[in-house]
Amino acid sequence: MPSRRAALAGAAATALVLGGWLADAAAVMSAAEEDESLARDEDYAAGIVALQAGNFAAALPRLQAALKRFPDAANLHNELGFAHRKLGRYEPAFVHYRRALAIDPRHRAAHEYIGEAYLAVDDLAGAERHLKALGEICLLPCDEQQDLRRAIDAHRAKSRPR
Amino acid sequence: MRNISIAAAAALTLCLTAAPSAHETEEGKGQLGKVSFANSCDAKVQNELQRAIAMLHSFRFTAGEKAFRHVLEDDAACGVATFGIAALLMNNPLAGQGASPKAAETAAAAIEQGRRIGAKTQRERDYIEAVASYYADFANKPERARQASRAQAFEALAARYPDDDEAQIFAALYIAGTQSQADQTYAAYLKAAAVLEKQFAKYPDHPGVAHYMIHSYDAPPLAERGLPAARRYASLAPDAPHALHMPSHIFTRVGAWQDSVGTNRRAADVAKQDKNSTEAFHAGDYMVYAELQLGRDQAARKVIDELTSFGNLDPGVFPGHYAAAAMPARMALERGDWAGAAQLPAHGSRYPFVEAITTFSRALGAARSGNVAAAEADGEKLAAQHKALLDAKNSYWATEVEVQRTAAAAWIAQARGQRDEGLRLMRAAADLEDKNDKHIVTPGRVLPARELLGELLLEQKQPAAALKEFELSQQREPNRFRGIAGAARAASEAGDRAKAQALYARLLELGREADSPRPELAQAKTFAAAR
Repeated sequence: MPSRRAALAGAAATALVLGGWLADAAAVMSAAEEDESLARDEDYAAGIVALQAGNFAAALPRLQAALKRFPDAANLHNELGFAHRKLGRYEPAFVHYRRALAIDPRHRAAHEYIGEAYLAVDDLAGAERHLKALGEICLLPCDEQQDLRRAIDAHRAKSRPR
Repeated sequence: MRNISIAAAAALTLCLTAAPSAHETEEGKGQLGKVSFANSCDAKVQNELQRAIAMLHSFRFTAGEKAFRHVLEDDAACGVATFGIAALLMNNPLAGQGASPKAAETAAAAIEQGRRIGAKTQRERDYIEAVASYYADFANKPERARQASRAQAFEALAARYPDDDEAQIFAALYIAGTQSQADQTYAAYLKAAAVLEKQFAKYPDHPGVAHYMIHSYDAPPLAERGLPAARRYASLAPDAPHALHMPSHIFTRVGAWQDSVGTNRRAADVAKQDKNSTEAFHAGDYMVYAELQLGRDQAARKVIDELTSFGNLDPGVFPGHYAAAAMPARMALERGDWAGAAQLPAHGSRYPFVEAITTFSRALGAARSGNVAAAEADGEKLAAQHKALLDAKNSYWATEVEVQRTAAAAWIAQARGQRDEGLRLMRAAADLEDKNDKHIVTPGRVLPARELLGELLLEQKQPAAALKEFELSQQREPNRFRGIAGAARAASEAGDRAKAQALYARLLELGREADSPRPELAQAKTFAAAR
């Protein structure tokens, strides 16, 4: 996972502290509460720490354990996709990235990473589809779009006959 | 439930007991509403048990659990008290976050204790098993599956004991707890509300009935129906902090600003007595929002000053910080004080979405004052705050800040003379905001994006299109001062005098008790005089 998106576990833990306050507040279920519950999950937190350490094999079982409780968390599917991809397991990586995007079609990181996964299996058109999607989602220039564009350019340069 | 007199109940050993229609006003313990939960526990614990049930109905988690545990200490055979402990540990069943793993362990222990004690009636044992359904296989189930099991179990309980009104009320609560955000028909809420309306007619002083009705109608198209319960709840349980503040969620949704000011005033006072700065600031933000809708700028300023001098906020709990950043931002933006907005100082919390309130206000203020360079600098800060939230996997708040960033960019484009780009961005911001429900921490965004779209269209001399956007915005956030003022101006400029007249009349009514010379009110008076 790129370093610019790496410092997440600590940030999530601090940024999402609710204490007991939320318990005394009225609410409809919202995406915010789901984010917060996931951030508090021990398996998820351990999976993220393992991802940050580059220990993808160790990350997988913890993230899969969290998935039982959070089957519809786009972030979690994105991270599972990432772990599988880094282990060279593209089929399950695509399954998780697609699920992340089905849950949250505007998930920028999932668009970038699935695009990079397409490049890894030499499917340039697939990567470009997601670059186009990022262009529509990022109303203003965004890192994910720029990173995927760079990856596509690098892939093209590498594939070009010398 | 049939109320059974305590005298008759006491005459029988181990009989089904109900408290004497327990109006919970014991000296020094506060008023929590009337509850009558039939049970077979010892007569000496009846008052405490009924109080504990009343606390459960008002989501008083810590105090309620303590009360149920006291009951067990005083009557070790009162197995049904463990139902209450486990129910409280599920947290707010309508908030979606559910029990924490640690709470689930504690609840499982309480349920085991209840089974071991063995409540004396089948009905009480059924209550324990109904709550146990939520915790079954806890670690391997998503929250929504737990919610579904819970609702199913309590519906079965209610069906098995049709004369047990507490069972009907709890079933309604847990049915409401299955409402999905994606279901715009609000089927679960309405199913719960149908049960609760009947109970409300029977028990207007029951804290759970009024409380759960408010939650069941806490959605924009339903909110109006929640007004009677909202007005009732605060008065019947004035010692439950949640009961004082909660009705204002309905009042805000329907634009009942005076009601909101009243109930939040009391909530803030209680919070201040309890030295709970988070709750005081939260109530204060709702109050400031409501006062500004009434054109009562001085009153809003007084609330801000009062809270600023009240005390420090816990750095680890965000709602107080949200309110502290939002209140001065609202004060500037709602009054169209763009120069003031551009000068707002950063709040200085650890939460990027809280800091973004100020950054957005500064960017918008600068752009609308023509200071493009300053607006761009704050626009870059908004981009960094947005990225920090994405990195923290905080998708909800990332989207909120993305709306702010895009809206700021729209007004920067407008200030640069890039009118089409400005409109494209502002429309995209409004569409994005419409898909993201407002968070419970806030009475409303500091300015609704669609209202800002209306204002941008007005700037671009497209009053008919602007009017449409103001009207759309009012559907989600009715009775807003700026929304009505914008719509009135748009109608006037579009040549729809009848509509403009009606809207200006509404504005004058809204600002009847205004304590400040808002230019929009002067325009309304001029328009009315020119007829």
